[in-house]
Amino acid sequence: MTAALPVEPGTLSQAVVGLGAVTSMGEGVDEVFDALCAGRSGRAELRGFDRSRFRAQHAYEIDDRPAGGGDVPGRATRWLVRAIEEAARDAGLGEDLAEVPILIGTGLRELRSAELKWRDGAEFDLAALHFGTALRARFGAVRTYTFSNACSASLYALALGSDLLAAHGADAVIVAGVDTLTESMYGLLDRVHMEPPDRVRPFDRDRKGVLMGDGAAAVVLRRDGARPGGRVRGRLRSVHVNCDAYHVTAPDPDGVAEAVRGAHRLAGVKPEDIDLVLLHGTGTLLNDEAEATAIGRVFGPHTGSPLMTAVKSMTGHTSGGSGLLSLIVALRSLESGRVPPTVGLRTPVAEAADFRFVQGTSALAELRLAQVDAFGFGGVNAVAVVERADQ
Amino acid sequence: MNPTGILVTGVGLALPGASRPADLLRSAPTAGEPAVDPAAVLGRRGLRYKDRASQLALCAARDGLRAAGLLADELTVPGGSVGVVVSSNLGNLDTVCGVADEIRELGVNGISPMGLPNASSNVIASSVAIRYGLRGPNLMVCNGATSGLDAVYWGAAMVAAGRAERILVVGVETRNRWVSGLSGAPEEQLLDGAVALVLERAEAAEARGAVGTAVLGRYARGAGEERCLDRLLDGSGEAPVAWFVPEGGPSTGRLAADVPRSDLSEVFGRSSGALGVLQCAAATGWFAANGADGRRPVLVTSGTDRDDAVAGFLLTPVGAAG
Repeated sequence: MTAALPVEPGTLSQAVVGLGAVTSMGEGVDEVFDALCAGRSGRAELRGFDRSRFRAQHAYEIDDRPAGGGDVPGRATRWLVRAIEEAARDAGLGEDLAEVPILIGTGLRELRSAELKWRDGAEFDLAALHFGTALRARFGAVRTYTFSNACSASLYALALGSDLLAAHGADAVIVAGVDTLTESMYGLLDRVHMEPPDRVRPFDRDRKGVLMGDGAAAVVLRRDGARPGGRVRGRLRSVHVNCDAYHVTAPDPDGVAEAVRGAHRLAGVKPEDIDLVLLHGTGTLLNDEAEATAIGRVFGPHTGSPLMTAVKSMTGHTSGGSGLLSLIVALRSLESGRVPPTVGLRTPVAEAADFRFVQGTSALAELRLAQVDAFGFGGVNAVAVVERADQ
Repeated sequence: MNPTGILVTGVGLALPGASRPADLLRSAPTAGEPAVDPAAVLGRRGLRYKDRASQLALCAARDGLRAAGLLADELTVPGGSVGVVVSSNLGNLDTVCGVADEIRELGVNGISPMGLPNASSNVIASSVAIRYGLRGPNLMVCNGATSGLDAVYWGAAMVAAGRAERILVVGVETRNRWVSGLSGAPEEQLLDGAVALVLERAEAAEARGAVGTAVLGRYARGAGEERCLDRLLDGSGEAPVAWFVPEGGPSTGRLAADVPRSDLSEVFGRSSGALGVLQCAAATGWFAANGADGRRPVLVTSGTDRDDAVAGFLLTPVGAAG
C-alpha cells in the first residue's frame, strides 16, 4: 500500500507501445493517418437520423448500420472494442486483459442507444451505457473505467492512466476514447448555430460551426522499468488537466492558457521547444478564438514557430475521443515527419494570424516534441506533450 | 493502487430524510419524506436551466464544502486547489431522451437551445465547479454499479498524484419518467438525491486546521464479490466493524454473521451511480454515531456478481490509520 507521489516535473517519460483507431475515413492507425495526410475527409450527408428534422445536413459518420435504413444500438461500443484490439495487438498484450486497467474517455457514452431504446423501443440494457460491461465480456477486463468528460474526456483519461502507471498501480494501461453522434447533441448544436455549417473549417474566418463525427482511439502506455514489450511508438511527457469554472459551454482563454502552461511545466519544456501543435480546433466561432488567444499568450514571440494543424476538418468533432485521436496523429507525425493539413482553412482568424498552419497538402518536417489540445463543455481542459520515440 | 493518508474532511447531503451523516444509519425507508427542493436550499438564482441532477449536486456540494470549512461567504482556499469528481449514471437521461422526442415531434427549430449543456453528461461536474469556483481537475465518472466508489478512488488518486490538494466528490441520481422507463424500476423506488464528500491530503487539512471524520483505506475492484473481498480483506488488517452492502445485498457470507450489514438502497432508493458516495458518507456517520472500535474499518462494496465488477473500500476512524 504505497502512496502515489507527485511526479517531479520534467521526469515523466512513459512509453506508448500500442495504437488503435477507428474513424469515418477508415480503420486502423496507418489507414487513418494516410487518409489524413492525403487530406481525405469522412464528411457525408447525414445518414443516421431523419434528415428532415434538422437544419444541418452533414456529419462525419461511420455508416456501419445495417442496409435498409434505421439506426441500431451499440455501435460506439463496437468501435471501441476494435480500437482496443488493435492497440493491444500492437503492444503484444494478448487477448486476456483481466489485469490491465482500461480507462475510457467519452463525451456521450452509449447515450445514442438510450435514445433508440426510449424513442424507438430498441433492445438496450442500461448496464451497457458504460463500456465496462462489454470489455469484461470481450477481454475479461475488470479494471475498467468510463469517464464522461465532454470533448477532453480521452486526454483526461490519459492523465489518470499516466498517474496510475507512475504510482506503480500497473505495468501497462490502456487508454481509449470513443463517441458517436447522439440526436440530442447533434440537434442542440444545430439549434445554436446562426446558420447551419456544412463542413468543419477550424480557425477559418468563414467557419460556421461544428459538426459531429464518429470515432474511437486507443493507446497502450507502459510503465518505465516494466518488462519491455511492443515497439515504442512515442513517449508521453505530460498531461495537465484543469477546469475554467467559468461557463457551461463557452471556453475561457485564461483556463485554456493555464492548461497549456501546466502541460509544458509538467513536461519540463518551454514553448520554443514545441515543434508541432495538434489543435483542438472545432470550427466553432468561440472555441477557435479562445484557443488561438490562449496559444498566442503562452507562446508569445514563439507563436509562429511550431507547425499547427487541426484534424477535425476531416474527422468531424469526435467529441470525447478526439483528444486521443489527435495524440495518435501527433505520434505518427513525429515518427514519420509527415503532418496532415487543416483542410478547408483558407484565411485564419485574426487571433491565429501568426500560426504556422499546415494548409493545402501535408507538410514534411523533422519533429521532436508535440503538444496535443483537448477542451470540453464546462471548461474541462486537457493538454498533453508527447515526444518522438528515439529520444 | 491504494492512495493512503487521505482524509474525509466534509460530508454534504441533499437527500430526503437525512441532514447529518449519522442520519444515514436510519433503517426506515425514506419513501414519503419530502423531496429536496433546491430552490429552497440555494435560492432560485442560477438554477433555471440546470437539470435536476445538477441542482441536487449543487445543494450537496455546498453542504459538503461548508462542513469541510472550505466555504464561508466564498471559498477559504484557492480555487485551483480544489477539484471535482461527480458520479452519476442516469443524471442526464431526462435531457437526452426528452430532446430526442422533441426533435422528432417539432424538428430542431422547436427545441430550446438552453438544453445544450445538459446534453453532455459532465454538466453536473462542471456546474459544481462554476458555482463554487473550483478550478482544479474536473471529472465525471459514469461507470455503472460501482461508479460511486470508483469516483471516490479517482478523487483520492488525483490528490495522491498532486493534481489537487482536495477533491469534492459528489454522487447523484434522480427520479423521473425517463430513468424509470429505461431502467424498468418504478419511480418511487428510485433515489432522488445527492451526497458529497471532501477528500483531502492529510497535510493540507492539517495546514488549515481541519479535522477528518474518516480515513480512506484500501480500494479494490474485482470480478465478483469474492475476488474483490479477497483483495480488500487479505488478513493484513483488522476485521470490519460494519458492512454497507451493494444494492440487492451481498453475494457472499464472507464476514462474521454478527457484523451489521446495511443496504442503503432499501432506505434511500435505488442509487446507481450515487451509491458508493452514499456508502462512504454513511461510513463517516457510523464513526460519528458509534465511535472507533480500535482500528477496525467499515467495509463498503458496490456491484454484485451480475455486474461487470464489484468495487470495495475500507474506511477507518481518524487517528487509527495504519
